[in-house]
Amino acid sequence: MTNDYVPQDKIPLPPPDAEVRTTACDYCIVGCGYRVFTWPVGKEGGPRADQNALGMDMPTRTFQGWISPNQHNVTLIDGKRHHVVVQPDPNATVVNRQGNHSIRGGTLALKVYNPDGPTRDRLQSPLLRVNGELTPVSWDTALDIMARVSRHVIDTYGEAAWAMKTFSYQYFENTYAISKLAFRSIVTPAYSPHDKPGPGADTAGLDDSGINPFSASYEDWSEADVIFLSGTDPFESKTIVFTEWMMKGNTDKKLIFALPRRTTGVAWAEQHGGILLQLIPGSDTVLQLAIARIILENGWEDSEFIGKWVANAWEIDAGMGRGTRNTPWQWRTTWGKLGSGIEEYREWLFEQPHAELDRAAEITGVPADLIVRAAEMLAKPVDGVRPKASFGLEKGNYWSNNYGNTASFAALALICGAGNRPGQVVSRLGGHQRGWIGAASYPIDKSPNRLPGRRRQEIDLDRWVESGNVRFAWVIGTTWINAMAASHELHDTFHRMTRRNEHQLTTTDVDQAAATLIARADSGGMVVAVQDIYLQSPIGDELADIVLPASTWGENDFARCNGERRLRLYSKFNDPPGDSRPDWWIIAQFARKMGFEGYDWQDSNQVFEEAARSSRGGVLDYFPLVRYAQSQGRRAHDVLRDMGTTGIQTPVRMVNGELVGTKRLHDSTLELGTPEGPTVHRKWLTHFHTHSGKAVLNKSPWEWFSDFYERITPTGDELWMTNGRINELWQSAYDDSRKPYITQRWPDNYVEIHPNDAEPRGIESGDEVIMESDDILVQTGGFTIVKGDEFLFSKMEENGLIRSGKGHSKAVAIVTDAVRPGLLFTNFIYSPGWPETESNSLIHRVPDPITNRYRFKLGKAKIRKTGESPYKDSFESMTFKSRNII
Amino acid sequence: MSQENPTSAGGPIEWTENPAECDALSELLEHRMSRRRFLFIGAATVATVTLANLIPDTLFQAEVAAYEGVKIGSIQDLALAQPQEFRYPWDDANCISYLIKLGVPAGGGVGPDKDIVAFNAICPHMGFPLLGQFKSEHQVMGPCPSHLSTYDLTRHGMVVAGHATEGLPQVMLETRGDDIYAVGVMGLIYGFSNNEAAPV
Repeated sequence: MTNDYVPQDKIPLPPPDAEVRTTACDYCIVGCGYRVFTWPVGKEGGPRADQNALGMDMPTRTFQGWISPNQHNVTLIDGKRHHVVVQPDPNATVVNRQGNHSIRGGTLALKVYNPDGPTRDRLQSPLLRVNGELTPVSWDTALDIMARVSRHVIDTYGEAAWAMKTFSYQYFENTYAISKLAFRSIVTPAYSPHDKPGPGADTAGLDDSGINPFSASYEDWSEADVIFLSGTDPFESKTIVFTEWMMKGNTDKKLIFALPRRTTGVAWAEQHGGILLQLIPGSDTVLQLAIARIILENGWEDSEFIGKWVANAWEIDAGMGRGTRNTPWQWRTTWGKLGSGIEEYREWLFEQPHAELDRAAEITGVPADLIVRAAEMLAKPVDGVRPKASFGLEKGNYWSNNYGNTASFAALALICGAGNRPGQVVSRLGGHQRGWIGAASYPIDKSPNRLPGRRRQEIDLDRWVESGNVRFAWVIGTTWINAMAASHELHDTFHRMTRRNEHQLTTTDVDQAAATLIARADSGGMVVAVQDIYLQSPIGDELADIVLPASTWGENDFARCNGERRLRLYSKFNDPPGDSRPDWWIIAQFARKMGFEGYDWQDSNQVFEEAARSSRGGVLDYFPLVRYAQSQGRRAHDVLRDMGTTGIQTPVRMVNGELVGTKRLHDSTLELGTPEGPTVHRKWLTHFHTHSGKAVLNKSPWEWFSDFYERITPTGDELWMTNGRINELWQSAYDDSRKPYITQRWPDNYVEIHPNDAEPRGIESGDEVIMESDDILVQTGGFTIVKGDEFLFSKMEENGLIRSGKGHSKAVAIVTDAVRPGLLFTNFIYSPGWPETESNSLIHRVPDPITNRYRFKLGKAKIRKTGESPYKDSFESMTFKSRNII
Repeated sequence: MSQENPTSAGGPIEWTENPAECDALSELLEHRMSRRRFLFIGAATVATVTLANLIPDTLFQAEVAAYEGVKIGSIQDLALAQPQEFRYPWDDANCISYLIKLGVPAGGGVGPDKDIVAFNAICPHMGFPLLGQFKSEHQVMGPCPSHLSTYDLTRHGMVVAGHATEGLPQVMLETRGDDIYAVGVMGLIYGFSNNEAAPV
């Protein structure tokens, strides 16, 4: 048995009577459609069409579909060994038409539990850390201990001492159960999703402009004439949106990338008339304002659209915009002070010195002529016809200057007439799929975070932990520490509060174990329970006191939406390993032990049907589907199953007794008629998401960010260190590290460095390098800010709320001119090498004060060579060839 | 076992599979090699011993059906960066392959400079032909015109960037004097369920 890659030259074919089910990919936002064949080991289909379940003669031909060796695995079904093939659905008519796929989804079969394969280390039993060793215990033992400690912590220290850190995306059934427990039963403010310090909007500037971040349909990217893509190359991290939609459709389409790297997608775009605005990380606001200014100076704005669809000052201030209500929009925009009509926005923009072309070129590092060219491509009419411009953004944009970037992005898009028409849309391109159904609202009234003017803000959970306020933490499906900022510093806090505490378990006896952990909490320490599919470092293998084994994709029926709100059933096809259970089941057992009501679900369909009520009226509304199923005497999961890989786009509506999906939001071309049955018609289906139905232009003050930006700008021998995903790897590599085919390609962490930076440091491709810094900033305390400007970084520094910490990350160097000089680019979270490959240790833990979002893309480091990797001169593993050959 | 296996390069060829010989060879190889060394399983013949010797220090292992060699070219006639097309192991559209002199040493490379390689030319992502996609300055095949997958021909056809769920299948070579012989294929050829099974 080996985890090394062994290319195969044959695969077993599913016989004609193999079971076939549909599912969608477990990974990125795009959620491609797949079909899963299973059949008992010992049987095999043949190469003729009538001998196999594909109904195809071998060999198949171009685009007909095929089963590659890495799409096959062996798993357990009803305890017996079965072949499993997970194949991109060649019959797909949406998303990944004809079975198009990425390398990530294409190798889904390799993630499947195989007791004899690299996935054999799946967690299979609850574990308790007794005398330092993780020891198997029963579900009752583990959950009884958790419930007793939880009860004590809540009764003694309040709900805010009881914390949860969970995925926000891993299926409606699970997130509904999690949010029901956290926000309805326990009602704790100490909650945060996997990728941020607290709940709330990711792209608040879009929300505050009335634009839903997932309003577009994939078809829109296909139909556009020009797309402004900021902070992402979809080729790399949401591949099928790029290869199936952006590369296809309107053949005259031009792509404008605002990225610090010339990636594969960029190279293709440049070959097809597009351009790269290769900006310095963090300067997006300036770039976007400069482009907007050129458009307005030349009168290229879409005046007809603005007149009809952008709110004027009166519509905002008179309560007809978002209204003077007590909402996140008001809290972020200092009670509406940012919103402006077009005239006021123009006046403000023209007063901003950094939005002037030459100054903008200096700050962004983008040549002035390219900034002008971008403005022309986006908005200059050709023969009297405006280009259809669409705008897509992702984390390179909003994980730096979060509010400023997203607000100025939205404003630029609106000026160009985008946001509510086919081919003229504004959307995130997405990271994870849309898998969150909140059973109740986040209890923001209990959050310790307050901004000036009694404005409320969700908790910064990391700071809350570091301040010693959390006594019990339940971590579900995330590495927490590795995924957050200044992670080595955060790890030190966790380690001190758990492993270095004197109260450690010496027995699996429930009474004694609970007493010990309660003593831990009472001594100022923290008890950590971790629920996951693998034992992750360090949260599981080092810090957890209790480990709970979760079952996952393929092991239960689940549902969720992709990046165009397409809801599908993810079918169960194999056994969960050992005693592992779906997250909703674990939550339910715990909740019942706590004495909470409403957790009597018998299967995941019951959770799905209950959760529909919470989806009602929202963007992910599938309530009509559940009602329709009930009217047919069927289970909602089964109705969704019938829809296969096509599924249905939410919000689901009922028209003439049939279920109908919604292609795009804010769709000015959509004719709704009268709502039918359980259908809810929200105004934002056909208008922007504001009271007036018109979008809002929001100013984006550079000075809210510039003091922090100046402080963290590399000096001397330091370089910017930014991060992201690469096509072949998904997330923390939790699955990829168990896919030999992938680890052959990426056996280690990597960092891209420009030749200008590599040469003087004596670094060549294949060298082992270390990035390090002892100037990683960490915000401490400061939960309640009273005076007007004290939320600004410079004031926090003055007030002693900022300290410096350390971080380092090792990697294999890739010398390439794809990155701009002065910049390092590395994996965003490469957990297999924790703590040595932890680039997030070099990220400042000072969130955007307006939105409480980390500036993950703005790290810095010094880099030096430490040796040569085994891959430097080997033919077998890793490659250093340029990724942008076109 | 004997089976017709026509190729465009050398007409029908035959290969034999002698189980006893195969077992003995496997034992010999397993005994000699660490598990990370080249591993040949399947229709092994005497030729495999020669093959293994071609890549003495490799860390790579693979299951490769080795066939009796088919002459596909000669060292003398092969110009730098001028791919020569052939079909192997079957006379089938999916078996279009290129014999290429890269100019730099490569995994599985033969010839005096270890720089002569051969690869199947059908993109293992979705079966699109990679004809004319060899980029000599980078020693890569691709990007595939369809979805932009690119393959490193110095590293056994590994995906550089892209979507294929296996590398570009490498046609294993050996030299006999000046002649270059194709003797096996590493990796399943697009569309096939078994490299050894004749196309339907």
